[in-house]
Amino acid sequence: MVRAMLSAEELQILSTSLGVAGRAVLFSLPVAIAFAWALSRPRFPGKAVLDTIAHLPLVLPPVLVGYLLLLGLGVQSPIGAWLKSSFGIQLALTREGAAVATAVMAFPLMVRAIRLSFEATEPGLFEAASVLRAGPWDRFWSMTLPLAWPGVLAGAVTAFAAGLGEFGAVITFASNVEGETQTLPLAINAALNSPGRDDEAFRLASISLVAAIVGLVLAEALQRWARRRLEA
Amino acid sequence: MTLSLRGVVVRKGGFTLSADFEIPAEGVTVVFGPSGSGKSTLLSTIAGLCKLEAGRIEFKNRVLENVATRVRTPAHDRGIGLVFQDARLFPHLTVKGNLEYAERRRPAARNAPIAVEIARRLEFDHLLSRPVRNLSGGERGRVALARAIVSAPELLLLDEPFAALDSRRRRDYLTLLRDLSREQGVPMMVVTHHIDDAAELANHVVAVRGGQVVGHGAAADVMATADFASMLDRRDLGARLPASAIGGRNAEGVWVRADSVLLASEEPRGISARHIWKGAVAGIAHEPDGSVLVSLATEAGYISSRITPEALADLRLEVGATAWAVVKAHAL
Repeated sequence: MVRAMLSAEELQILSTSLGVAGRAVLFSLPVAIAFAWALSRPRFPGKAVLDTIAHLPLVLPPVLVGYLLLLGLGVQSPIGAWLKSSFGIQLALTREGAAVATAVMAFPLMVRAIRLSFEATEPGLFEAASVLRAGPWDRFWSMTLPLAWPGVLAGAVTAFAAGLGEFGAVITFASNVEGETQTLPLAINAALNSPGRDDEAFRLASISLVAAIVGLVLAEALQRWARRRLEA
Repeated sequence: MTLSLRGVVVRKGGFTLSADFEIPAEGVTVVFGPSGSGKSTLLSTIAGLCKLEAGRIEFKNRVLENVATRVRTPAHDRGIGLVFQDARLFPHLTVKGNLEYAERRRPAARNAPIAVEIARRLEFDHLLSRPVRNLSGGERGRVALARAIVSAPELLLLDEPFAALDSRRRRDYLTLLRDLSREQGVPMMVVTHHIDDAAELANHVVAVRGGQVVGHGAAADVMATADFASMLDRRDLGARLPASAIGGRNAEGVWVRADSVLLASEEPRGISARHIWKGAVAGIAHEPDGSVLVSLATEAGYISSRITPEALADLRLEVGATAWAVVKAHAL
């Protein structure tokens, strides 16, 4: 049905968007879980710094995030050059690069959702696990993650939905390369900036809107379902 | 083979617990005291969930914690099980999943009953595949106990395990705990503020009041002290008799309330009461409420009876006089 409604070009753009947002979630999820776990601990030295780092993309202009990524990971930068020479990985101007930019922007959303669910778990359950001989790592895998997974899931889906719409950081770091980095918002922007492509822009905007709404509804439904399963 | 706490101080919020005692690591030790006295904190401390501020804890010649030498074995390495008052079942697992959680982490060298076996003993084998959220309070308590037993601890701590049980189940549960302790050879420490449970279960008693351990030792000794009596409600005053004194009951002892004991100055005859003990008056105490507590040294042990000052005068009781204590079977 989707195939009948969309042109080949639109399908290509949609699949680029889904691919970029999906990769972005994959890249940031493990890091977000680690940050969220650390931030859910009671006081420790450096907590404020960690908290600031996690929330920075929320307040920085996206263009600045893209620019910083270009400085840090672009082909000219030491890390970028090393990635290219050692692994043949180039981030700037590629889909992976678009995903990294999206991942950084979606990071605070994920950390927030996951941290809240870590903080909501009953600490008494961890005591119960430890008197059954579960050590700290064991407790993390057997208790912390399974108990928090509605939040992890919600964070991932929300980040995915938000990732579909990331513009500033992507266009600055990965640029607008058709078929490679041209996601929905980049395509909408391109259509709006060329004369006589208003219809195209409107169709792309509608697709974007539907995708975002589906994502949000899905996140909500998944979370509610998972909560019900865990309710004691 | 003992559990010893030496110079232990624990602070939790505004509450301070001090403890200095040693008990044999065998049989059942009852931790007795009014609510808020620090019984639960004492268990948490032994299990390793509260950090010591001072002192040391040793169990079977192994140092679990020593503030002076900065030694601290974390809770998961102590091999000490704890059944919490609120059960704390894992909500993301089924009843069986909760038991398996304990089973998987049990050292291979430790023997323990199979999960299904223990579920049958505790009468919840029909619930094994259920999620824990649907269980009643009593069922939760039994699953939590089973989970702890399956993990085969070297010492099992139980915090008010009878709180959510009706009286019939309470009796079964008491018997079961004693059987399990004996069969598995697992020493237990049981928190209760219920004097009947304490008398029935205890080989040893640790008495706690206001954050202090005020007595410890064999149940017969500790429960006979004035300190112990001072922790009891007026209606609960009485004396512990060994179970052998009333014959046949599967218990360590029985608490005979002073309110349920009659005194006679001559040997009673033609009377329905099943338990009559002859003894000598060992003490007469006038209570603040006007009643008189008479303590009688009998063959079975000390028994006390609450009587009115008029009765005391009528019976002409004085220290050293012979008297008979009469107790209905149903009062025990």
